[in-house]
Amino acid sequence: MFDAAPPSDEALVDATLGGDDDAYAELIRRHKRRVFGAAARFARNDHQIDDIAQEVFIRAFKNLQNFRRDAPFEHWLARITVSACYDFLRRERKHRETAPLDAVDFDMSDSSVERAISAGRAREVVGWAMKQLRPDEQLILTLCEIEERSVREVAGLTGWSEANVKVRAFRARNALKRILEDHAHES
Amino acid sequence: MPTNPDSNLDRLLSAARADAPDTSRFEFAFETRLLARLREERNASVFAWAWKLAPFFAVLAIVAGFWSHSTTATADSLAILVAEASEGSAEVTLVSYLTGAP
Repeated sequence: MFDAAPPSDEALVDATLGGDDDAYAELIRRHKRRVFGAAARFARNDHQIDDIAQEVFIRAFKNLQNFRRDAPFEHWLARITVSACYDFLRRERKHRETAPLDAVDFDMSDSSVERAISAGRAREVVGWAMKQLRPDEQLILTLCEIEERSVREVAGLTGWSEANVKVRAFRARNALKRILEDHAHES
Repeated sequence: MPTNPDSNLDRLLSAARADAPDTSRFEFAFETRLLARLREERNASVFAWAWKLAPFFAVLAIVAGFWSHSTTATADSLAILVAEASEGSAEVTLVSYLTGAP
């Protein structure tokens, strides 16, 4: 006797479209970790992480009939996640207030960077600098530098051309570096 | 050795990448919460449709009421006419029976 193989994502999509809510619950269970991981890269607090994840799965549910099976469900969901995160960044920009980074603790010198890393503050420092950037710069840096996605992948996720992704990533990285250096000069 | 901002930025980004946030506490029962929200939205949309359609149904009910009333009135007058006619016919039959007229 052998156990039946678990249903594929596509089969679960079909079942959901047929009105089976439990099938969608199973899809959420399979993919929520990835969505939460992505959301946590952009959100500023716990509440926002949950909001982004809910937004992603609600958008996916409402657009499930548009899911074409030319790519895996996971890729389709990743595009929705990126789109929801980008929308979140644009909304956030309207009421952005950046708390000052602890000026005493950080500058761009080797020793200060080393100290920040060993104290587990690298994410805080990078996050602080990222928040000074435009939404598209934050998005591209997160996808390229933090999530280490290839240019091609990022182009597929954002809908931008590969050349555009390369240019934006280069400019965003320079902008991030400048912010950290300027902060070092100010402090 | 001079500070190299590019390599320092790389080190910072690499450390930030390694420090993946723990989201397990948000994931707990997330699907249950989300499905509850979806059901709520679905029900809310059914109610919203019901409210949007309410004037249409009200007009339909009024039209149906008028139609029913006029049809009943026509039917009543027809019934009276038939009754009168049939009563009249009975009288004629009786008179012709009593008088022997054809």
